[in-house]
Amino acid sequence: MLIKFWPAETKIPFMRYRYVGVTLSVLVIIGSFFLLATRGLNLGVDFAGGSVIELTESETVTVSEVRSKIGNGLTVNSATDTDGTRRIVIRFGDLDEALLGPEFAALSPEEKAERASSASNTFVVNEIKSTFNLTDRDILRNDSVGPKVSGELFREGMIALGIATIMMLLYIAFRYSWSYAIGGVAALAHDAIGTMGLFALLQIEFNLTTVAALLTIIGYSINDSVVVFDRIREVRRKYKQMPSNEVIDIATNQTLSRTFLTAGTTLIAILAITIFGGPVLQGMSIAMIWGIFIGTYSSIFFASAIVMALGTDIRRPGVSDDTPGFQGVS
Amino acid sequence: MLQFPAWKVLLVLAVLAWGVVMALPNAVNMSGAPGWVPQKGVNLGLDLRGGVYLEMEIQPEDVIGGRLDVFARDVRTALARTDTQDPVAHLAEVDGRKMTIKLTRTDASGNFPVDDAIARIEKVNGPLEGGLAGGKTYNVARAGRDTIAVTVPANSENLMMADALAKTETIVRRRIDPDGVAEISITRSGSNRLILEAPGEPDPQRLKDLLSRDGRMTFNIVDDSPSSIAAAEAGVVKPGFRLVAGPTTGPLLIRSIPEIVGSDIASASQGNDEANRPQINFRLNSNGARKFYETTRVNTNKRFAIVLDDSIMSAPNINEPIPGGNVRITGDFTIEEAQDLAAIISAGEMPSKVQFLDQRVVSSTLGEDSIRSGYLAAVVGLSLVSIFMILAYGVQGIFAVASLAMNIVLIFAALTLLNATLTLPGIAGIILTIGMAVDANVLVFERIREEQRSGRSIWTAVQAGYERAFITILDSNITTLFAAAILYMLGSGPVKGFAVTLALGIITSVFTAFIFTRMLTIFWMKIAKPKRFAV
Repeated sequence: MLIKFWPAETKIPFMRYRYVGVTLSVLVIIGSFFLLATRGLNLGVDFAGGSVIELTESETVTVSEVRSKIGNGLTVNSATDTDGTRRIVIRFGDLDEALLGPEFAALSPEEKAERASSASNTFVVNEIKSTFNLTDRDILRNDSVGPKVSGELFREGMIALGIATIMMLLYIAFRYSWSYAIGGVAALAHDAIGTMGLFALLQIEFNLTTVAALLTIIGYSINDSVVVFDRIREVRRKYKQMPSNEVIDIATNQTLSRTFLTAGTTLIAILAITIFGGPVLQGMSIAMIWGIFIGTYSSIFFASAIVMALGTDIRRPGVSDDTPGFQGVS
Repeated sequence: MLQFPAWKVLLVLAVLAWGVVMALPNAVNMSGAPGWVPQKGVNLGLDLRGGVYLEMEIQPEDVIGGRLDVFARDVRTALARTDTQDPVAHLAEVDGRKMTIKLTRTDASGNFPVDDAIARIEKVNGPLEGGLAGGKTYNVARAGRDTIAVTVPANSENLMMADALAKTETIVRRRIDPDGVAEISITRSGSNRLILEAPGEPDPQRLKDLLSRDGRMTFNIVDDSPSSIAAAEAGVVKPGFRLVAGPTTGPLLIRSIPEIVGSDIASASQGNDEANRPQINFRLNSNGARKFYETTRVNTNKRFAIVLDDSIMSAPNINEPIPGGNVRITGDFTIEEAQDLAAIISAGEMPSKVQFLDQRVVSSTLGEDSIRSGYLAAVVGLSLVSIFMILAYGVQGIFAVASLAMNIVLIFAALTLLNATLTLPGIAGIILTIGMAVDANVLVFERIREEQRSGRSIWTAVQAGYERAFITILDSNITTLFAAAILYMLGSGPVKGFAVTLALGIITSVFTAFIFTRMLTIFWMKIAKPKRFAV
């Protein structure tokens, strides 16, 4: 006995509501930009520089103890592991120069700028070790990123994003046409901006791992759009005279069942990461859950609406629906 | 689409069998297995096994300045008295990337012999290594009536940086791992960076301390006349000299340009003196031994300072010329201190100070936690997706789950084969692949349902389903693969780990979902002869 997750045949007139969809998308984009401008991203040490130190909480070592004894200029929070162990997470940037000793004070201003983060880290680690009588083995994590590297990491991340987008644009233009390429990439940008907006809204830490999540969302979004495009192309070839809105509606409805099933399985896998994957992967998986929603939404409403505005015709000869061109595989 | 000749079936089974064998070391202990089977599973990243990651940088100013310091000695030799030439009196100062040589005495005609000096310096100015254009290492030019400026041309600077980075890499390795037994990895990044990964090491400070010493060993002639020292302490340092302190000697004036440098030292080791106290023994190489003899001959009855990183370790008196090149430092050392110092001196002088840019330390407990939670998330994710697929597609769902399991085996086989490193985001990549791999199956199964609904028989529906879904699967997976490939090329550390598993997962999932599932479906159709798939 099979469970039907989705009715077999739907006839939802998606394109009739496309202005609603596009308006909503534009609002999401504007809202995201607004949030990014006002609240900004909560940059993690990877991009902002500074240090993160993690300790296991114990009877003597507690968040309030760390706050009161090592306090100045540090952000001290707790995190709970999947197995219930509580951890203390200490974040800080460059500490006051007076704390860093005479050797540091003697450096030139440029050297100070470069070494402040490393020197601050050493200072805090020593403080923790001496105050709580701990050894290096008790420190679970100790990351310290200097200003040079953090700037580079951010730049590299953005470059990776840009190049990946251009590659996908070209591939879709090559396989379909420019209107599909523009539609797909617009949906992808929509999803990326919307996700950054969510990061700004919830102040989720933005680090290298969340960049990986962002790229996955982009990959998922384009994957989803391509599946719908593929069907639009097929329907278009079958009914050469049919108006674009009907072609898109047929294609979207025919792929709807697949769209939701795939979103469902991916969501299940990501939920498993969110619940069981531990704190390190949590930010990443929250981003991906949102990404699945927004990616699914944008491939149905946003990408198709743009393709409709730009035209569903595919003028590329040689890629015919009846002869898929890759028949050698059977 | 529906024909699976025997050779094709064998090929598919061979790939799967290969995958199982390659992935096996990740599940069981392989000691005692035949040689062609990999003995070791996938490498775990530092975030999973714990350890220290350090990214460091060497400074061009230091490197170039250090090379100019060495060249200053050659200049001094070149301008010294020879059998046929008079000496050229001068003062050389190295400042950043530039050396200024000021002549201090005019010749018989009342002019400073700048051209003569330049000609003599050019004789010791070697050709650029590997430079096809035949350029010189340094630019030597007149910079005034009595001044010569020595600068470093860009191509020469690049060579010096590359050379310095290679040297630093060797020195870092020798200092941290003098016996060559530890499992550390040092990689170069860009023109002036090194990345050090030391699994299992809990203490970044120990590594930083070992690496932040220059190991700059020099032997300098001392001026210990009380009046010069007093003047220097008052702020008037004799030109060409420096005021340097030492824990046992107190402040002394030493000649800025050293007589013996680190590269003259062949080896250093910890030994014991007559009273059985730890000391450091050196052996100078032939060049160093000759210079040492020459210097001790000329400077008899002066003091000779042994300086390590701007601190005088000892400053014995030169009683007589010393041949042979064996030198020792006695002092108040513990055995460990003497061993560490010997290792630092032996490893040689860092061409530049290393600056620590990025440091990540993960304890092994946290690493184990991460493995456990990653594993749990994978098992739960896989189970739930499997239940979902079987509920949605029945028999075909079972085939999809079988191919999903094979997919994971193949990912591990590929990771083992490529000697790739599995990181925590990498595990996330695998879990994501679990979700996305079923997409290919979903596409096909949905297509088969549609074809059945439009009245086709089960065989033509399956045929059409696979044929039509193929292009969709290819297009959508290739676009995602682009994202993964870019991520791999431009990403660093954890992001790279994610990209590797995502990319491998995409490739293996097309194979398992499209070929393996199809093969299972067709076998089942031949055996069970179903009329249609449940929809």
